[in-house]
Amino acid sequence: MRLTFEPEVEAFREEFLEWFAANRPTEEEMAAEPVVSSAHLPSWAARWTRRMFDDGWLVPGWPPELGGRNAGPIETLVYLEELSRANVPRTTNPQGLGIIAPSLLDYGTPEQIEQYALPILRGERTACLGMSEPGAGSDLASLSTKAVLDGDRFVVNGQKVWTSGANYADFCFLFCRTDPDAPKHKGISILLVEIDTPGLTVRPLPEIIGPEHPDLNEVFLDDVVVPRENLVGEMNNGWAMANGSLAHERGMVWLGGVLHLEEMTTRLVSEAPDVLAQLPPMAAATAADGIVQSYIDSVAARCLGYRGFAKLVKGGSAPEQALMKAFSSESGQRLALRATELLGHRALDARNEASVHNRTGPWLERYFQTFGGTISAGSSEIQRNIIAEQVLGLPRR
Amino acid sequence: MDLEFSEDEAALADAVRDVLDGISPPAVVRAVYEGTGDADEVWRQMVDLDWPGLAVAEADGGVGMGFIELAIVVQGLGRTLAPGPFLATATQFAPALQELGAGDLRHRTLGAVARGELTGSLALAERGSWRPGAVRAAAVRGEGGWHLSGTKEAVVHGAEVDELVVVARGEQGLGAFLVPTADVEVTARTVLDATLPIADVTLDGCAVADERVLAAPAPDVEVALGRAVEQATVALATATTATCRRIFEDTLQYAKEREQYGRPIGSFQALKHRLADMFLAVERAASLCWFAALTIAEDDPRRGEAASLAKAAAGECQRLIVGEGLQLHGGIGMMWEHDLHFFLKRAKAGDALFGNAAEHRSRLAEQLGLVAPGVPA
Repeated sequence: MRLTFEPEVEAFREEFLEWFAANRPTEEEMAAEPVVSSAHLPSWAARWTRRMFDDGWLVPGWPPELGGRNAGPIETLVYLEELSRANVPRTTNPQGLGIIAPSLLDYGTPEQIEQYALPILRGERTACLGMSEPGAGSDLASLSTKAVLDGDRFVVNGQKVWTSGANYADFCFLFCRTDPDAPKHKGISILLVEIDTPGLTVRPLPEIIGPEHPDLNEVFLDDVVVPRENLVGEMNNGWAMANGSLAHERGMVWLGGVLHLEEMTTRLVSEAPDVLAQLPPMAAATAADGIVQSYIDSVAARCLGYRGFAKLVKGGSAPEQALMKAFSSESGQRLALRATELLGHRALDARNEASVHNRTGPWLERYFQTFGGTISAGSSEIQRNIIAEQVLGLPRR
Repeated sequence: MDLEFSEDEAALADAVRDVLDGISPPAVVRAVYEGTGDADEVWRQMVDLDWPGLAVAEADGGVGMGFIELAIVVQGLGRTLAPGPFLATATQFAPALQELGAGDLRHRTLGAVARGELTGSLALAERGSWRPGAVRAAAVRGEGGWHLSGTKEAVVHGAEVDELVVVARGEQGLGAFLVPTADVEVTARTVLDATLPIADVTLDGCAVADERVLAAPAPDVEVALGRAVEQATVALATATTATCRRIFEDTLQYAKEREQYGRPIGSFQALKHRLADMFLAVERAASLCWFAALTIAEDDPRRGEAASLAKAAAGECQRLIVGEGLQLHGGIGMMWEHDLHFFLKRAKAGDALFGNAAEHRSRLAEQLGLVAPGVPA
């Protein structure tokens, strides 16, 4: 155990910070073209992604030809922390960079890598992940969007929902059923589908906060024709690849949740004293106690994340990792709730010019938004099932 | 920050676990509870292993290891409830000698602790508070040295140990005095947890000669005392969290074995989710305990805050674990002949001593500038 990183890691941090200072997008650029969706590529973001790719800072753990510098996991952690500290997004297409491009590098053909993966890494194209369906949310393997092989092409029919960024993406990494007779986990394949393919319709789904900038969408597929060469990996092997896809950066995904929680904690702790001073003693004491509990959650989340990360780096298994998603998202939710209760009627203000996406919106908005974290990507209830069954070894039934 | 054991630390943790499973099985704990046995043999074995001097400097006759190693032993003690004066002597008395004492007195006393010849504890709390600022016991200069008066509460193993570090206030500030328990009036409290007995100490009439003064009353003693109390606090948080982990593991095992309606009760989702929450509470507290132990081991400036984070989280952890552990065991958990209650009682004691979760959250609120700092008048 130790509190500090090795000197080599600190040298890596310095090297990145020096490069970052000279190459980062400016606050003015970012403010002029705010990011409004998870597959939106403002011109500054395209330039920023390209600079990171060219100079080996896009995915530090990858080799230089893929936008990296063969850095180790601890160096990558430091890099992600520094980006977050500077409040500059690493990418405006997290599913593309974090899941779709790595999956194509693992399973795709050279042509698919050239045509789909590299353009994501160079900041030329963005992609969305077509997974959830009206009848397949937490139970993803029961998806029913159907792709029928017909000679050298697939014909796809069905519907996706909650597809982040489909309204801005150039193409979709689409999970569909190619063998309706196989057990549900064994008949799924992945296709690359251009968003402008005839028969594909995107209908944005405005959310309860920030409806003017929808990020989630329904995607309708009506006799959509996809060339056979757009099949990713082996036919009917999509479920195995999905688990591989979602495992990409698995060792790091906790960090985003922790950084988000820390940002909210810092904000609440700095805003609270003035409000507390106006409250009667009992109300102030109750509110302060809640804020401290959130502060403890925030420090604990980081320590828990580091503990699990250290185990992974040392090659062991890390049960802490399974806890991180539910813990950080629920901690953030509790914190936002406490903030709204602290602020009383002042928490009721709706958003102003400061966009929801820069995460400084009013607390009641933040509170509602935190449900995105406790519902999506495996709800808190599913997370508890996973912890109970896969980590604690409790019987499924 | 690397919060996972190194190979050496993991090996020590394994060794400690093996030793304690051997010398302090539940039967030993039960014997202490039922008055049919004592902790003497457990303590003798610990002395044979040099544990009392583990974190005492080599120059003072100890093994010279750090706070992480001490916390690893304490974790083992919490898991098995190993009885005896280890927590009091190695995590309260010795740090107080180390931080507050000087010269030959410190050297001699720590050496005796390291050799297992001397046990001790820290007499700090008054009127429910472990804050140095709350100390009202008085130290007045008089014939034959310093004259102490006042009452100390909840001195861990106070009726069993040889000597106490007594904290009292003089005109210049707090002072620390090395007092044989024979020289003061020690009243053992009748408490539920027989493995962590506590006593109240009346100081009136106790005179301390100059050669047994660890630190004469002075403005800077409070800082040194704070450093010692941080170690005691983090050690107790670590032990409490380890006790909670044991309760959790035993409850988990029970949920896998106990069948009702033709299936293990742990297969019901209502219980799965509660067990997942228990697991999270233990990991949350454990992470903060190791972070706090590291800040002490590396003398990081965050050590005061980290100690409160750890103790608060350990207290919050036991609050969930004790209740859920007992509830999920059902009726058998209410039975004296089942071992569960030993662990439940220790977890409660671990929260209540050296400031409970609410007290440490209060300190954090003060440090964060949310409320005005304050010691009761």
